[in-house]
Amino acid sequence: MVSVLVSYPEYCTGCRFCEMICSLHHEGVVNVRKARLRVERPNIRVDLPLVCTQCITCGDDCCVDLCPENAISVVDGVVVIDQELCIGCKTCADTCPYGVIWVDEVAHKCDLCGGDPMCVRFCPSGALKFEEADEASYASMLTAMGG
Amino acid sequence: MHAIGGQILHVDLDSGKVTREPTTETLVKEYLGGDGLAVRLFVDGMEPDTDAFDPGNVLILAPGLFAGLPVPTGGKCVFLSRSPLTGTIAESVMGGSVGAELKRAGYDALVIRGRCETPSLLVIEDDRVEIGDASEYWGRFTRETSEAIRRDLGAAAVACIGPGGEELVRYATIDCEDRQSGRAGLGAVMGSKNLKAIAVTGTRDLTVADPEGLIRLDLELQKVMENSGAFVDDTKYGTAEFLNWVNEEKGVFPTRNWQLSVFEGRERIDPYHWAPKYTVRSKACHSCTKACGKLFEVSDGRYAGTVVDGIEYETLYSLGSECENGDVESVARANEICDLYGIDTISTGVTIGFMMELVERGIMNVEDIGVDCRFGNADAVPLLAELIGRREGIGVLMGEGVMRASREIGNGAERYAIHVKGMEPPAYDVRGIKGMGLGFMTSSRGACHLRSGVYALNLVGNFWRFDNVDRLTADGKGVQVKEMEDFMTVFDSLGVCKFSRGFFLMEGYAPFLQAILGFTLSEEELLIIGERVNNLKQLFNYGVGVRREDCRLPSRLLEEPISSGPSKGAVITEAEMNRMLDEYFQARGWEVDGMPTHERLSRLGLA
Repeated sequence: MVSVLVSYPEYCTGCRFCEMICSLHHEGVVNVRKARLRVERPNIRVDLPLVCTQCITCGDDCCVDLCPENAISVVDGVVVIDQELCIGCKTCADTCPYGVIWVDEVAHKCDLCGGDPMCVRFCPSGALKFEEADEASYASMLTAMGG
Repeated sequence: MHAIGGQILHVDLDSGKVTREPTTETLVKEYLGGDGLAVRLFVDGMEPDTDAFDPGNVLILAPGLFAGLPVPTGGKCVFLSRSPLTGTIAESVMGGSVGAELKRAGYDALVIRGRCETPSLLVIEDDRVEIGDASEYWGRFTRETSEAIRRDLGAAAVACIGPGGEELVRYATIDCEDRQSGRAGLGAVMGSKNLKAIAVTGTRDLTVADPEGLIRLDLELQKVMENSGAFVDDTKYGTAEFLNWVNEEKGVFPTRNWQLSVFEGRERIDPYHWAPKYTVRSKACHSCTKACGKLFEVSDGRYAGTVVDGIEYETLYSLGSECENGDVESVARANEICDLYGIDTISTGVTIGFMMELVERGIMNVEDIGVDCRFGNADAVPLLAELIGRREGIGVLMGEGVMRASREIGNGAERYAIHVKGMEPPAYDVRGIKGMGLGFMTSSRGACHLRSGVYALNLVGNFWRFDNVDRLTADGKGVQVKEMEDFMTVFDSLGVCKFSRGFFLMEGYAPFLQAILGFTLSEEELLIIGERVNNLKQLFNYGVGVRREDCRLPSRLLEEPISSGPSKGAVITEAEMNRMLDEYFQARGWEVDGMPTHERLSRLGLA
């Protein structure tokens, strides 16, 4: 099993530090719309961190299958975008059920910060974890996120 | 310039006209953002003698300088206006994301004046600024209003008022994500403008001078915070984690409309008791990695279905001990009612406690009130809160606050109206925390613990520049309050939570400012900014007629010593009150009547 980014909504406090630190770390600017994860707050009861690093359950919306340039693949269990191949067509972002891919000239997606995700380092409540997850537990997480 | 949105947005609700001006580097260097910037813009924009409910009253929303950036606990914003409760300038800091979102839309402040003809909302999406119809949201609770507007318009952040603000309850709140600008009635200012909500979506980049440096500092600060005892206490039990200490060890937890200072029912409202049973998870302000909010749910019994982000320390007093209410489910339900209707829990609870004492003294009777309004009747508290929120029956009068209500009731009621400058006080019995007593008196928005935060210094005895402080003497309090007010104003201008004051102090800011702005400010420079802001507030208040004699404690606190408990016998005498005020005015460089001297204003660049 490989380690991936796992979301535990029941611990999320809704501070959204993860979104801000993600964009600062990757893009050098603070812009939550350029973050590679996001937190939704539909009502007072729910703060929902949306993440996706592992290709499991998207079915027909699978960004790996839909990419016209075959720029998205699964490497060692983790979804990776080859930005050399990407043409910025937004197909992946438009279909991603979690809204965690954003596109300017090319598509950007969580790359686990090279193995030490910044969002996890700052998550004070254990709502985001970098840990081994088997297919079943990862699938149930994605279901909890509304996927 | 880094860290800022770059523009100040002016919206005139009378004409619908929208104008913008650049946020200059000078403004940032002199006022930072948040409270400081808001005060400057307010004072510049207000016509003299404009009543709080006059369309000409200016309402400002300003994110702190750090808001919108990843700085732990640094995401706060401020609403500021002339208060309908106190008549003074009043800011109220909140932790909702609307300020950060405003900055992402490119604005460091939103300056609103005028009045809409019909219920309206202000929609801001980067450059697009529109006033829209809000009739379908009018009359609805804060929570459902915000959810509906976010859903209907796709807005990222919504600040709104509830029925309390619409009905001009003088202590109505502005709500964003169940966080409130709670004090001083700024929600009623919005209501008087027919402005139900401000919906903001911002998509712009915010830059910092040194991204890597900021991340490194964040990691260091986060580690320091997580290793502190306060982190564990705050995240587990919230802001009331020290309730037992204030109540039993210090004996300064106001109870029974300030007749008592120790609440015998403490155990049942103490978070160490309720958190394990009712807390579902922690909730945070925007950008806060030290979540002190608690999602509190009641699953069965009379108050089943209650869901509230709380219960905060102050609310456990106001809706709890102040009314001798030891039923934490009743406190939670009353807290939820306050949040949904958009009224301040502190003022609501103190007004209820005041009414309970009037019943006890025979000045009011239960039949006139229509609710069994007696100390210890837990069910009366949510009922009365709801009447205030709806502005129905006795709620019409109670929505005026204790000062105005007591004058209308007469018959000696004024003696039991606990307030300073019209503001109902928070949960610190200042007879046993004399510096805090002075802080209540000098605060620009009336009885308030947060302008100076001097309660902590006095109760603990040491903080920052001060050592061996005796809470029970009047000595040295003028300098302490002056210095702490300036200190806290820096927090409110940067947008950093005051609960972080133990982590940051002043020198802690220097590297953050360097990484964010590319230049830094020394402790002295920051404190001068704080002093400048506080002098501007005083100039406004003096201009509308606030004088030294308005800086008075309620007579109960001057004449009735604390009756029992560890602080038994403590009182602030008239002579002590005057001595502390003298010392404070001297430290401030103000004339005896409160007018800042020309010399002091010159030094602050305000002459």
